[in-house]
Amino acid sequence: MTLVISTCAEELSELEFVRPLTELLGCKAKHYRSVTQKDLEKADCIVISGTALKDFAYLDADWSWLKTIDKPVLGICAGMQVIAKAFGISLKDHTVIGPRRVEVVAENSLIEGECEAYFLHTKTGIGHFRVLAKSEGTPCIIKHPEKEVYGVIFHPEVMNEEILEAFLQ
Amino acid sequence: MKLGVLYSGGKDSTLALLKAKEFHDVVCLITLISENKESFMFQTPNIHITALQAEALGLPLVSVETKGEKETELADLTRAIAEAKRQHKIEGIVTGAVRSTYQASRIQKICHELGVWCFNPLWLKDQVELLKDVVKSGIVAMISGVFAEPLDESYLGKQIDKKMVRRLEKAAETHGINPAGEGGEIETTVLHAPGFKKEILVKKTVTNYDKHAGVCTITEAVLR
Repeated sequence: MTLVISTCAEELSELEFVRPLTELLGCKAKHYRSVTQKDLEKADCIVISGTALKDFAYLDADWSWLKTIDKPVLGICAGMQVIAKAFGISLKDHTVIGPRRVEVVAENSLIEGECEAYFLHTKTGIGHFRVLAKSEGTPCIIKHPEKEVYGVIFHPEVMNEEILEAFLQ
Repeated sequence: MKLGVLYSGGKDSTLALLKAKEFHDVVCLITLISENKESFMFQTPNIHITALQAEALGLPLVSVETKGEKETELADLTRAIAEAKRQHKIEGIVTGAVRSTYQASRIQKICHELGVWCFNPLWLKDQVELLKDVVKSGIVAMISGVFAEPLDESYLGKQIDKKMVRRLEKAAETHGINPAGEGGEIETTVLHAPGFKKEILVKKTVTNYDKHAGVCTITEAVLR
């Protein structure tokens, strides 16, 4: 079973950033403030959602469990930022809003070739993670060097559902 | 949070308004009156009815006129949202965007520039489910524009009810249209909805239709 974790401070934002994921993946979501150890144990894999551009409350939470969990994790936008935070990577300001070309730079199991993707973020962070794809020269899909922990700074639920399907496999 | 709804008077922005009211205070409607009937950003059929809709909802309307030219209409939208922020102290806006990354990304950029929240509660919603939600929520929406085959004159002026949802669903299967009109195939005008203190009574309409493109313009309407 997939667990979607909401990063949204506002319930109204969940209709935009969480509902599309639970509908696509056929699973339920829990808010990061109410996720329990039991929820994490029950999940086969974890998808962490994005949220509104004005929302940064998720960055104040404790995401350290991401360092010890031994399950596939995909962080989308804000989800990628919390992965960066958990692994000690600092975030820098970087704003991209709208569709952009994405180019794969390292073979991986999520995506191949080129595609167009929908971006909506103001911060990003790469650190020691492997860069799998770039957009206009900036990394946009990253992976932990050893673990199945991925960060995607764009929103695959908008134009790239195949990335989510590949992650589930 | 005080929110303004980017309001075209159609089913999507009305449904978005109802969703927003579940969580926040909607304090005004924001409408762009576009001269350009081909605008990718703003609905045009019966946009003048938003004045009656705002009155029915008991909400102030921030209305800004735009020539509807590709990039100046964005400056006009920025002006409208800034005006709503100044007049009504809104902290965010709500849109009825469903699939258009063209519309959504432009509105997100404007909100980012103005430092306000942007909420899109219908984003990526399945279009048949959206139509069913419109009916279920008690929104009375009339089809006021059709712009694609097989939608003909018989659709104009009709209400979106369960029967019409099935008709649009079938048209989507046979002709590949977006059943909720996300690709601009249909436009709607809301005559009544939860929160309306009065309904809009349409007294006169003028219909223009030719080759799968037509508009039913409301020329006389009152609140009842």
